[in-house]
Amino acid sequence: MDDILVIKDLTFKYKDNPIFENFNLTIKKGTWTTIIGPNGSGKSTLIKIIVGLLKSDSYILVDNVLKSNNNIKQIQKMIGVIFEHPDSTFVAETVMDEMAFALENLEMGKLEIQKKVKEVAGYLNIISLLEKNPYQLSGGQKQLVALASILVLEPKILILDEAINRIDYLERENILKILYKLNKEKGITIINITHDIEESLYGDDVILLDKGKIVLKGNKELVFQEEKVFNAIGIDIPFMAELSLKLMYYNLVDEMIFDMDEMVNKLWI
Amino acid sequence: MDIKFNKVSFIYNEKTPLEKEVLKDLNFEIKKNQISAIVGKSGSGKTTIIEMITSLIMPTSGNIKIDNCYIEKNSKIVNINELRFKVGLIFEFPEEQFFNSTVQKEVEFGLKTFNYKIDEMSKRVSDALKMVGLDDSYLSRNPHTLSSGEKRKVAIASILVFNPQVIIFDEPTVGLDSNSKRNLMRLIKMLKNKYNKTIIIVTQDVDFLHKIVDYVYILEDGKVILEGDKYTVFSEVETLLKHGITVPKLVEFSHKVLKEKNIKMGYRDEINDLIKDIYRYAK
Repeated sequence: MDDILVIKDLTFKYKDNPIFENFNLTIKKGTWTTIIGPNGSGKSTLIKIIVGLLKSDSYILVDNVLKSNNNIKQIQKMIGVIFEHPDSTFVAETVMDEMAFALENLEMGKLEIQKKVKEVAGYLNIISLLEKNPYQLSGGQKQLVALASILVLEPKILILDEAINRIDYLERENILKILYKLNKEKGITIINITHDIEESLYGDDVILLDKGKIVLKGNKELVFQEEKVFNAIGIDIPFMAELSLKLMYYNLVDEMIFDMDEMVNKLWI
Repeated sequence: MDIKFNKVSFIYNEKTPLEKEVLKDLNFEIKKNQISAIVGKSGSGKTTIIEMITSLIMPTSGNIKIDNCYIEKNSKIVNINELRFKVGLIFEFPEEQFFNSTVQKEVEFGLKTFNYKIDEMSKRVSDALKMVGLDDSYLSRNPHTLSSGEKRKVAIASILVFNPQVIIFDEPTVGLDSNSKRNLMRLIKMLKNKYNKTIIIVTQDVDFLHKIVDYVYILEDGKVILEGDKYTVFSEVETLLKHGITVPKLVEFSHKVLKEKNIKMGYRDEINDLIKDIYRYAK
C-alpha cells in the first residue's frame, strides 16, 4: 500500500515552547487512522501544520506532492478538514450554496456544480437539507454539511479535528458510519483526532501521541494490547479492548474482540 | 437546597413567526446534596432548564422554587442577584471565556462586580482555588498558558468563589482527555461529599455519569420521560435507545447477554465485577 502522507524531521515550536522535534509520521493510502493523546500533546498543531495553517519548512509529502510555499492551495485541495465548530466555516444561506461555494471559486460550470452537489448530497442522504439555512440545522446535520462541502472537492485525505464530540449520540453514529462507507467505498484516507477513544474502533490504525512524540502506532488490535502504556499517560483504552484483555487473562477469549455481539456469541456459544 | 419546577412552560420568540414551545407544564424536583443529571438529545430542553435555574431566562408561565427564591415571569432583580449567589453555572468550555492576564484576576472578576473588600476577595479566591486542587502559586500565572485540565479547574474556581450551594455543569467532559475526566470526577464527588453541594450535570457522556451520578432525569421534547436512581434509569435500556439515548457500555453488555442468551447478570458499576459475572455464567 502506498504512503499518502509522509512527514520527516518536523520541528515546530510556539515561541519558546517546543511542540515537535524531529517528528516523523507515515500514513498509508486508504486507511483510517485515529490520533489520540492527552490535551496539549500536539494533535491539533500537527493538523494545522499539514494543511498549512501553521508555517513549517519541514518535509511534508502529500500523495507524492512535496509541500512548499508555492503549492499550499494544491495541498489544501487534497486534504479536507472538519473542525469542531462548523458554524465558523459557513458562508452561504442555503446548504446548496454552501456546498457550491468552493466549486464556484474553482470556476466550475453551473450545471456541473449542480450535478456534483446533488451527487454528494445523495450519497450523504441530505437532499432534504439542500434548501435549508445551515445555521438552523442540528449539530450533526451541520457537520454533515461541512463534510458535504469538502467532499464536492474530492479530497484524498479527510481529517476530523474533534469534529463530532459535541453532537448527539445517534447523529455521531450516523456520521461515523458514513465515514466508514467513504473510507471503504471511495478509498478516502481518514485521520480522526479525538478524545473519544471509542471512535477508534471504526478505524484501522491508532497513533498515541504524547508531548509531541509518537508513543504507539499500529493496528488497533496490537496497539490496544499495550494498556499499560495508555494508562501511564492517563488515557483509557476502549471498553471492548479492556474487556477483551481481561477475558484473555482468564483464558475466556484468545483474541481482541471489538464487536459486542461477537463477544457475547464467543462467550456463550 | 431543593429545586422545584412547578408547571413551567417556556416559549422562545413568543408571538413571532419563529415561536417555539420548548417546555410545557414541566413538573419535577431536584433534591439537595445529590449529584443529579439531566440527559436528553439536542433540542430536548436541557439548556433551557439550566438557564432558568440560573435565571438567565424566565419561564413563560409557572415558577421554579429554589430555597426561598421564586423564579417566575416578573421576578425582581434584587431577588435574582440573591439567587445568583446560590446557583453557579459552569458553561461548556468555560475556559474559552478567559480574558484576564492572571488566575487571580480571572477568579476574582465576578466578585468585583459585587464590591467585595480586597482582603475578603483574596481569601475567597485562595479558598476557591484550594477546592479545585490548585495552590496559591497559580495566582500570578496566566490562565491561557495552563493545561486544559488546569484551565477547567480555574473556570470552576471562578464559580466556586461565590460559594454557591447549587453548581451546574453543562457538558463538563467535552474536550477533556481521560485523565482530566478522572480529576473532574473526583472534584465533583468532593464538592458533594465534603462541601455538601447540590450538583446538576447536563451531559451525553453516560459512561462518565454512570460513575458519579445519584439521580437521573431523561428529557425529551421538554418533558421528563424517565427519572430515578441510576440503576432504575439505566436499566431501561430499550426505552433509552428508542429515544436516541445511549447507555453505559457496562450496562449495554449485560443487556445484550440478557437479550440474546437469556442470562441475567447483575447491574455492575465496575468492569472487574462484570468479568466476575462473565466468569461465573459463561459457557
